Amino acid sequence: MITPKRDPATREAAVNRMVQRQQHRGPDDRGVHSDGPATLGMCRLAIIDPANGHQPMISPDGRFTLVFNGAIYNHRALRTELALGGWNFRTNCDTEVLLAAYALHGAACLQRLRGMFAFAIWDAREQTLFAARDPLGIKPLYYARLPDSGVVLASELNALLASGVVPREIDPTSAGEYLAWFTVPAPRTIYRGIANLPPGHSLTVDAAGRLKTGAWWQLPAPAQSAPVAGNYHDFVSGLRYQLEDSIRAHRVADVPVGAFLSGGMDSTAVVGLMVRGGAAKLKTFSLTFGEAGYSEQASARLAAATFGTEHHEELITGARVAADLPHLLASFDQPTGDGINTYYASQTARRGGVTVALSGLGGDELFGGYPSFRDLPRLQRLLPLWRRLPAGLRRTVVAHLSGRPGARARKLADFLAHARDLHELASLQRRVLPETVRLALLAPEARAQAERLGPNHPMLEDFAFELIGADPFQVISAWELRTYMADVLLRDSDVFSMAHSLELRVPFVDRQLLEWLWPQHDYFKYDPRRIKRALADATADIVPEPIRNRRKQGFTLPFARWMLGELRPFLDETFSRASLDACPWLQAAEVQQLWTDYKARNDTRAWSRVWTVAVLIAFANRRPAA
Amino acid sequence: MKALLLSPELFLHEGGIARIMRLYLKALCEIAGPGGRVDSVVLNDNPGTDPRATRYSTARLGEQAGCQRRRLRFIRETIRLGRRADILVCGHLHQLAVAWLARLCNPRLRYYLVAHGIEVWRPFTFLERRALLGAHRILCISEYTRRQMLRFFPGLPAERLVVVPNTLDPYFAPDLNDQLSTAPFATPRILTVARLTGTDTYKGVDTLIEAMPLVRRDFPLARLRIVGQGDDLPRLQALVQRRGVGFAVDFTGPLSDEALRAEYAACDLFALPSRKEGFGLVFLEAMTYGKACLGARAGGTPEVITAETGQLVEYGNIPELAAAVADLVRYPRDSEVVRRHADSFAFPAFTRRLAAALA
Repeated sequence: MITPKRDPATREAAVNRMVQRQQHRGPDDRGVHSDGPATLGMCRLAIIDPANGHQPMISPDGRFTLVFNGAIYNHRALRTELALGGWNFRTNCDTEVLLAAYALHGAACLQRLRGMFAFAIWDAREQTLFAARDPLGIKPLYYARLPDSGVVLASELNALLASGVVPREIDPTSAGEYLAWFTVPAPRTIYRGIANLPPGHSLTVDAAGRLKTGAWWQLPAPAQSAPVAGNYHDFVSGLRYQLEDSIRAHRVADVPVGAFLSGGMDSTAVVGLMVRGGAAKLKTFSLTFGEAGYSEQASARLAAATFGTEHHEELITGARVAADLPHLLASFDQPTGDGINTYYASQTARRGGVTVALSGLGGDELFGGYPSFRDLPRLQRLLPLWRRLPAGLRRTVVAHLSGRPGARARKLADFLAHARDLHELASLQRRVLPETVRLALLAPEARAQAERLGPNHPMLEDFAFELIGADPFQVISAWELRTYMADVLLRDSDVFSMAHSLELRVPFVDRQLLEWLWPQHDYFKYDPRRIKRALADATADIVPEPIRNRRKQGFTLPFARWMLGELRPFLDETFSRASLDACPWLQAAEVQQLWTDYKARNDTRAWSRVWTVAVLIAFANRRPAA
Repeated sequence: MKALLLSPELFLHEGGIARIMRLYLKALCEIAGPGGRVDSVVLNDNPGTDPRATRYSTARLGEQAGCQRRRLRFIRETIRLGRRADILVCGHLHQLAVAWLARLCNPRLRYYLVAHGIEVWRPFTFLERRALLGAHRILCISEYTRRQMLRFFPGLPAERLVVVPNTLDPYFAPDLNDQLSTAPFATPRILTVARLTGTDTYKGVDTLIEAMPLVRRDFPLARLRIVGQGDDLPRLQALVQRRGVGFAVDFTGPLSDEALRAEYAACDLFALPSRKEGFGLVFLEAMTYGKACLGARAGGTPEVITAETGQLVEYGNIPELAAAVADLVRYPRDSEVVRRHADSFAFPAFTRRLAAALA
């Protein structure tokens, strides 16, 4: 917290409340330090050099004070370089490496970091604050301006609210965005007045209190000359080297490291590469379900047996989810339509004795695992033909599709009505609720705002400009990386793993790997006849053949069934009039109808839409935590 | 240099494109140099010389062909005058295919497009793409417009798109003889100038009206002056009634230049929180009067409004809009700094940039 208009005691009390509120993120140590108008606080999950590395960490000359969330995987290499530059290290901790790197190189140090991070550093001499977030958004950072021109930052929204200086007011515009995207896309958050620093961005607050944000990293531009593989064999060899290198980097820790093992290709490849890299007695974790058709138990067991890991399975039932919902909802800092699987996998891993777990998250985005990679280029080719049709005919077709009951027809209507190029197709394809349904669920004021902003993703132009000249595979991959992965998968993974004091690492979401992979020929990376063939071929000697040739299943839960069974009382209460009174930005009757229709039609494909709305209502009804 | 200027309009109406293309005419005449000549073919204008043409030209001005909306005549005149020109500056994408045709008849002709904004932020037809590929350079009024064109036509060589920001009409500069506004006393007085048509609802005039109840919570004497006309007026008037701010919002209708100057001089801040402004010439006009500007963080607006000259808000975010008004009133921007910023877009600088782009 930076504010010259509050005395240090008041600031420290506020920061102590914030630290206490996110104690689960770091139960091993905590500290608060004030300097001039700044107070910094931290609770630490000790991973590297657990005995040292207390935060806030202060430079020997007292100029810099750092709080840092995350891990710098290349800290050993940087340490050698920085020591040669004159820094006298006192610990073996990556925090001190970051402190030294910033002290010696300033903001340029970001380009040297390999890892996941969100940090803030106070410069007592210049009276400035610098904060930054990793390139792809693994670690979060939220901030709010205070009425007295101060700034307050935290890793979780709940902590910002606990400061007592930020109002807890749900933003109706954000609620509308959430209904579209299943999450509130950065830089907005669910709360009015609190912003989410986007991935790859930094923030500075100068001595006059002016706040500036800007991108310090972008996806590689197509014009940048980068070495690309000349043939598929070289490509696969190069990819294998990069994967092994990323796994090696992500295993760096002084505490037990395990892995999530769902039985899919991504997590199996990660576990296989870990074992191949020398991970002995590796513990792996997966979830199982009583309901037929959801478990990937057989694949996970096959992988565990192949690699000889100590495999832990956890049975998840609807009754258990229903019982855990209060804690789950308390763990959220923003509503999300996803993430419960990560909550349980993290809980299982932590109880299984590991402090760090690796996950296969990001494989679908990098290697074309989603249907969007196949479908969107086809739709893109049809768009010019569609736009040549007379406008009246197009309007009639869109109106007809919008009026049909199925979500697929309405989604197609959204594409036809609003998409003009691949970016807009990629933007619209991740929507949960079709535009007509979303608008119907919103109260007049929120609806008017949603209509003004339109159906496309709020960052459409920023992403489209970043990707000028990119090939279709890169465009779709970037949209998946920048939207669904950053705003849903990574955010949920951070919140739900940290809820159990587990550090989740994602070796596919690695800047070095991505920068190598990005300029490679798209026909090496993707083959519509063999999804994720690049990853499969690069790990062909590791991943068992049945897993390589399996159809993608994903890490899903049998929600559709639970919602009509064990979760039904929760949902009945959530969709009640009393509960909806806390959501003045929703059209109560329409929202209740959504739940009534779901119960009546038993349309199992609609569960995510109903659940998404339910989570938002339940979130609005949360009582503020003490 | 022998130049030919194509434009949809120059003098028939006071539209944004007409106003900027007049300045292109003036700049081309200055760039033409001794022995040079600048002809023009204007689709909608009437034949003959408009009395205002002398203001916007020099002795280099040659033939002026007004085509009275007759497209065939426009094509014929363009080909005829294009035969004796070295360069052709086309003022609108819709006319670029004609420029391409003129080049077929005169292979040494280099043609340029002025890309204003919303008309080029979309996928292009086959004919447009063909004509765009033949353009020697595309003069984009903002970096935002440049990027939109590259987004929708990635095959366009990026180096051919150069940014030539719009400029202020030197005849619109503040004058000692400016009238005083007769509008009722208000503090703050917020001014907006926009076309009020159903196709221009993105200009955000409705969001300004929506913000007025919040603004008046902080400033009970606040007043919004809306300059412009169009078929969206009844909707906006109804919105004013619904929000209960009829006593705080004035619709002035269209104004003469003199009356508009008086409005600029009298306002406390200028606001146009538009979602799709290619550049936002009205911001520059307000800035010449030293007035802080409020715009949306969208389109080309962020290239005109800086932290020192105003404030940017998210389009459509009513509370943020009201807070920005309060901020600009409580912490007024230095009017000298604002004027100096407007000076960086003055006509001489524009002429230099244009000459460099045409070279």
